[in-house]
Amino acid sequence: MKRRELIAAIAASTVLSSPSVLRAEQLFRLALTPVFLDNDAVVIARLRDALSEGMGRDIDLVQRRTYQEITGALLDGSVDAAWVCGYPFLQHRAQLNLLGVPVWRGQPRYQSYLIASVADMAASLEDLRGGMHAFSDPDSNSGFLVTASDLARMGETPDTYFARTIFTWGHRNVVRAVAGGLVRSGSVDGYVWETLAEVEPDLVARTRIVAKSEWLGFPPFAARTDRMADADVSSLQNALLSMDQTDAGRAALDLLFLDEIAEPDIRLFDGIASRMSVLEQAG
Amino acid sequence: MRHGTINRIPITLRVALAVGILMIVLGMVASQQVLRSLSRLHDDRLREIARLHVEGLSVALGPLVLHKDVWEVYDTLDRARVASDGQRMLFTVVADDRNRVLAATDPLRAPVDSDATPFSENASDLSGLTASGNAPQVRVRAPLLVAGRIVGQIVSEIDVGDLVAERQRITLYLLLANAGATSLLVFAGYFLVARMLKPVTLLAQHMDNAGGAPSRIPESEIPKSDTELARLLRTFNTMMGAIDARTEAERRLAERERFVSLGRLSSSLAHEINNPLGGLLNTVDTIRTYASRPEVVQKSVDLLERGLVHLKDVSQAILEENRLDRAGLPLQPMDFDDLKLLFEPEAAQKGQRLEWDVRADTDNLSYLPAAPVRQIILNLLLNASAAAPEGGNISLSVQSSDNDSVELTITDDGMGLSTQDLDRLMSSAPVAPGGGVGLRLVHDLVGGLGGHILHTTGAGRTSLAVILPKGKTA
Repeated sequence: MKRRELIAAIAASTVLSSPSVLRAEQLFRLALTPVFLDNDAVVIARLRDALSEGMGRDIDLVQRRTYQEITGALLDGSVDAAWVCGYPFLQHRAQLNLLGVPVWRGQPRYQSYLIASVADMAASLEDLRGGMHAFSDPDSNSGFLVTASDLARMGETPDTYFARTIFTWGHRNVVRAVAGGLVRSGSVDGYVWETLAEVEPDLVARTRIVAKSEWLGFPPFAARTDRMADADVSSLQNALLSMDQTDAGRAALDLLFLDEIAEPDIRLFDGIASRMSVLEQAG
Repeated sequence: MRHGTINRIPITLRVALAVGILMIVLGMVASQQVLRSLSRLHDDRLREIARLHVEGLSVALGPLVLHKDVWEVYDTLDRARVASDGQRMLFTVVADDRNRVLAATDPLRAPVDSDATPFSENASDLSGLTASGNAPQVRVRAPLLVAGRIVGQIVSEIDVGDLVAERQRITLYLLLANAGATSLLVFAGYFLVARMLKPVTLLAQHMDNAGGAPSRIPESEIPKSDTELARLLRTFNTMMGAIDARTEAERRLAERERFVSLGRLSSSLAHEINNPLGGLLNTVDTIRTYASRPEVVQKSVDLLERGLVHLKDVSQAILEENRLDRAGLPLQPMDFDDLKLLFEPEAAQKGQRLEWDVRADTDNLSYLPAAPVRQIILNLLLNASAAAPEGGNISLSVQSSDNDSVELTITDDGMGLSTQDLDRLMSSAPVAPGGGVGLRLVHDLVGGLGGHILHTTGAGRTSLAVILPKGKTA
């Protein structure tokens, strides 16, 4: 923060006669959760192009290793908006507001998949006891909360139920861990798994779905409540909601295998909220 | 036995073989050196590859292992594996400080939390890494250090199949090249040595010609250059000349021997002629005195005739002995009569008694040539007469035994033969200086007829039996 102010101050003192340059230095920053696209430079570039065009200014897409870092950056103002998971959004419901929810295969919902190696005969979570399990992120709904809450209903915790659990800090990594045989099972974002099945069929073919969760709210775009009135944030929301109407937006959505970004509805996340309460009661 | 076999191989072949063996040894030593250098090169390369791999991973993995971060360790290994796909690294396992598996490129082979000892126990350290075995893969282990503290270890399987194959290929090439070079040099050596030793081969051929007798080397076949071999060949020719001269001298000596033995008889033969001459002259006086008495004249003429016939016989025998052109004539009983006539006066002069027992007829004797047999008998008789004392006994017996040989036995009651004389008679060893050549001539003549001599002594008598095979020279 201080460094940015310092850079801004230096810029202001040296290039006072040119305010447009000063604005250009202060990029709009949108943070992205580590979903499947986190390692695909083309997807990132297309998304930035689409949103820059929609907002009429350059934006910076920020990536972090964990969900917690993204949520933290959003809350402390390091970034202006973020594509977050429904779980951390609900955890910080008081400070955050929804900007839009992606629509995937016709609805703004997705499922959490419990996956295992293609050769594994497990038919349900019950069959996976005592094996190693890979979670995506402790702040991920599909990559942790769903399985953890299922176990809580069974009166178990991941650490007691599984021989060992690891966090892979990415849904694609969960698929890699299961496909490579490092772990017996994993909790993964159904949208990421299905998309990977298109993009990296060889990798996904080495895994199979043991169980699917109920349909839950798709990871939304959010901003701090106190920033909702900012012109930049409104501009981003407009750009997001109209993405499917521009060529650049369509190109980005196609790469993301999404239909559009829809107006948000907080009731979409009731499922996640109920799972959170199950975990809290168990804890 | 084996030594003998080797000695029978011609020298040209032996030298070529020696060159071949030396080349094989040299080739093997050289190949060994090449392979050793190659092996060292491979090992250095392998160690460098392994060092880069392990060190690169160690830097990245150290902190992750310290925190026992299974996923990050796996992620690092998996990305390294994908990045080096199809290259040397086949399998890598990372273990913590208790040697428990944290992660491996193939988790199914090395599951998390399992014991890593099976992987690390037969792995080499970086410094001891070698590709010299025939295994297509080697295993290397290295400790993982964080701030100088060992937090775990990394074990990698490295594919050295290409190095092993390369070494095997080079070994094969070396072997083929060596075999080729060796056989080339063996052949070259053979031709070169055969060429260089041609004079020796020539010498060997002439020294041991088909007939077994050495022969002179024609001057045209002697190399023009004045090498030691050319000198050797000329020396050989000179020696051959000397041998021919000696043989000629010996032949002439043997020729003379006939006159020598005759000369030894001359005194007694002169008496033999002189003694009757006195009687004959008396008879002539008687005829002259009693010319008118026909009965006396008739008696005297008979006497005169007998005396002259005897003289004629004696001179005939001497002439016969002396004739040079009898070489081809066969032996006849008459020859023994001649010998008796020649030798009797010699024995008589010494008062020696002569037993004469010839029991072979013309059929048996005619297979033998007359001249050498007469010479043999005369020489042995003279020798016996010289050995026997005054008034001693000498005997000759001629027998035809088994119809395939003739045995001539000369016996005397003298002192026996000296060692030197026996050597002369019985062996071909060089003759000691001094003494006559008579006995050596007998030895040579008997040898020439394919016969042999038996020497026996007993009851004060010395007996020499000459056995001559029939039909050897007729």
